Amino acid sequence: MGTTEVLIDRLNAGVGKRNARVEFVREQPFGDALRLRRFRLGNGLTVLTLVDRSAPTISYHTWFRVGSRHERPGKTGLAHLFEHLMFNETRNHPPGDFDRLMERAGAEANAATWTDWTYYYENAPRGALPLLIELEADRMGNLVLRGPQVSSEKEVVVNERKMRVDDDAEGKALELLYRSAFRRHPYHWPTIGWMEDIRAFTVEDCRDFYRKHYAPSNATIVIAGDFNERTALSLVQKHYGDFSRARVSRPRASSKEPSQRAERVFQLEVPTPTEKILIGYRAPAFSDPHTPALVIANEVLFGGQSSRLHRLFCIDEELALAVRGSISPFVDPGLFEIWIFLREGKSKRDALKLLDRELERLGTDGPSESEVEKAINQLELSFLHNMETAAGKAEQIGFHETVLNDGAAVFDRLVAYREVTVDEVKDAVRRYLRPSRRTRVEILAKAS
Amino acid sequence: MKLFVESSDVLPLVDLEVAFPVGSLQDPAGREGLAQLTGHLMRRGPRGISQERFEERLAGLGARLSVQVSMRTTRIRATVLRRHLEPLFELVADVIWQPALRAGDFAKLKRQAQAALIARLDDDQTLGALCFREALFGEHPYGRSLSGNAGSLSRIGVKQVEGFYARHIAKGSFVVGLSGDVNESEARSLVDAHFPSFRLRPHKTPAVPATRARHGRHVVIVDKPERTQTQLYIGTLGARTRDRNLFPLIVSNTAFGGTFSGPLMQQVRAARGWSYGAYSRLLHSNQRDAWYMATAPSVDYSAECAALQLGLLENWVEVGIKKTELSFAKRYLINGHCFDRDTPSKRLDARVDVELLGIPRAYFEKHDELVGRVTWQEATEATRARISTRDLTIVVVASAADVADSFERLPGVRSLEIVPFDRS
Repeated sequence: MGTTEVLIDRLNAGVGKRNARVEFVREQPFGDALRLRRFRLGNGLTVLTLVDRSAPTISYHTWFRVGSRHERPGKTGLAHLFEHLMFNETRNHPPGDFDRLMERAGAEANAATWTDWTYYYENAPRGALPLLIELEADRMGNLVLRGPQVSSEKEVVVNERKMRVDDDAEGKALELLYRSAFRRHPYHWPTIGWMEDIRAFTVEDCRDFYRKHYAPSNATIVIAGDFNERTALSLVQKHYGDFSRARVSRPRASSKEPSQRAERVFQLEVPTPTEKILIGYRAPAFSDPHTPALVIANEVLFGGQSSRLHRLFCIDEELALAVRGSISPFVDPGLFEIWIFLREGKSKRDALKLLDRELERLGTDGPSESEVEKAINQLELSFLHNMETAAGKAEQIGFHETVLNDGAAVFDRLVAYREVTVDEVKDAVRRYLRPSRRTRVEILAKAS
Repeated sequence: MKLFVESSDVLPLVDLEVAFPVGSLQDPAGREGLAQLTGHLMRRGPRGISQERFEERLAGLGARLSVQVSMRTTRIRATVLRRHLEPLFELVADVIWQPALRAGDFAKLKRQAQAALIARLDDDQTLGALCFREALFGEHPYGRSLSGNAGSLSRIGVKQVEGFYARHIAKGSFVVGLSGDVNESEARSLVDAHFPSFRLRPHKTPAVPATRARHGRHVVIVDKPERTQTQLYIGTLGARTRDRNLFPLIVSNTAFGGTFSGPLMQQVRAARGWSYGAYSRLLHSNQRDAWYMATAPSVDYSAECAALQLGLLENWVEVGIKKTELSFAKRYLINGHCFDRDTPSKRLDARVDVELLGIPRAYFEKHDELVGRVTWQEATEATRARISTRDLTIVVVASAADVADSFERLPGVRSLEIVPFDRS
């Protein structure tokens, strides 16, 4: 009998409840030195463990497959509001207890919501693991939702929205971009939600959302860092094992966004001293085989001070203070976003002409071999940076598990980047970065 | 020169840091921003290689290089894939000892710095923080912006940069640190091979006069149109690094506004939902730096939020924290201390801070002991001795017409000034 079988036997010894029984699914290499191990509880909860004793810390992540795409018009922002509410009261802990206990243990606890997922995390000293498991399990199954807390958190989110969107030129432009680039798909609405929807949520909306989405079978737990795997799994069984495999409402496939055939242009006037251009090209999903080539193209164009567009816009032509590019890492096709932060008095037309010329050139001639190598080196550096701490590893695992159904896929991405050819970059640029596939938002300075 | 090494072979990555005890405090009056421009011009590469070629080489090595200038330090930091450490080290040494400092690069850099001054007006939080320091410290060097202002930048030419470099960097003292996948003897060989052995001038800390608080409570409104939300900073002088009661004050501030569970966050956010964030920060330096509370309430109740915070502040200083809050803060600080040293680069930073900023080594090595022995009485006395409820600077970024009257009516306010957000 192998050591893992012995482990599972010991964990299940005397465990009568089917939901609490644990099974070993598989083990995958995670880099040269570490192993990512996958377990599943009888109630469907997936648990991924990565033991790494390089620092006396642990990171505990809980990823739910629910984000703003699972909302509906009129109820936008519910996934995000709900993330806030998860820090409140449970049947076992009064309001404020969660944060107090976490902070007293030296743990940093926070959460994030986006289009396809919501995750909760704690970074803590290694000894705090039993507390993290107890409190996370408790709020997964025993959350109490009452009027006063919902009202207060709604007000917090209203303030958050004002900060991130209403009073922020970039936030406002991003919202307009996605609203305009997606007309049918739920990526149309912002994760924080429309203001009128936030103000209108009821306690019943929140309870309904909790029942539908917060179940063990819709979650993945990632434990990374310095811990004893057997103890951790045994605590997971104890605290999550009572939860049944609740019926998670699997949302219907999101409406497919029709293809875009012509450029869409919008203008936004705000009190800003400098004008900006935000462009979104319709891009493939994160899992699409073309994405690695687009990532390389992004590095060639925007990756650091030697990149083509930084050099041209910020140094040679002095048109912009900064330029930025990124690809939305979404389950469904998203956007390749480009930001151009123009300098005072510089022309949007000139900037756009230069951008089009350079995209055309990259699509026709492709990058040089040395540019591709440089891009891969830079991506490798970023990858290693992300892997420096237990928190970084847990986040990468949780994200890849939730978006690609494979926590160890972060290493496959690096391999995929290394295999990208010059021709693939050319093809990807020609296919995706065409003016007819883009939506453009111009941020104009409102006369005072 | 001192060398610090923090080895760890967990990842094939090395961080390199060369740090000089020189920063914006050495900016001549009227030429604020000179230290930062000097650092950034050095970053454009060494002699004998164009800036473009230099960037190509860095990126080809899988390296990132930055020059970070603060009030008291200039830190040249690079991160590189282990396999490219030696060529990166050579390149960084050239940047430091043979910077090109080309007039053409400088002209572009200066225009970029001027454009950045304009662009930062978009960020209300940064705008509020800068105005707060300016209003709190006035003409004192601690009130200067690292990036200078439109007037000071216009008075800086490449000659001043060359002079600053020659005076403070070329023959100034410095420390070298390496962390990550590198051992002590490799690090020593690299330093011996690429760093000069000439006699360096000893480090002389610039004399900085004591900071003084303005008497009374003073409001500054940074007037920006169409704000639905405000950025609110309320503060006074904070601490000196070598204050005997620094740790009691750190513990007390942590209990008051350093965590989500403290009274500031609980009263402002949890109970009322008035601000997404609500925290207090205690800064320390050679002279007393700042202590402040930061929140971002809606314009509808910004003054009400300020009044609540003033009440909380008075209660904190006059009554003191509760004993349960003291023990909570101590556990929070001690238990969370592992995150100050969980990567080799963080451990390296701490050693460089000890060397360059005069932070006593015990603050890192005996952190838990220093926190653990703070008593309720020490915490209370330190708060009363250091945090004034009478001399306060209140800065709010808002549309002035919406908030001026209500802020003027706050208790104890002696003056209210409105400044346009885009004043030069």
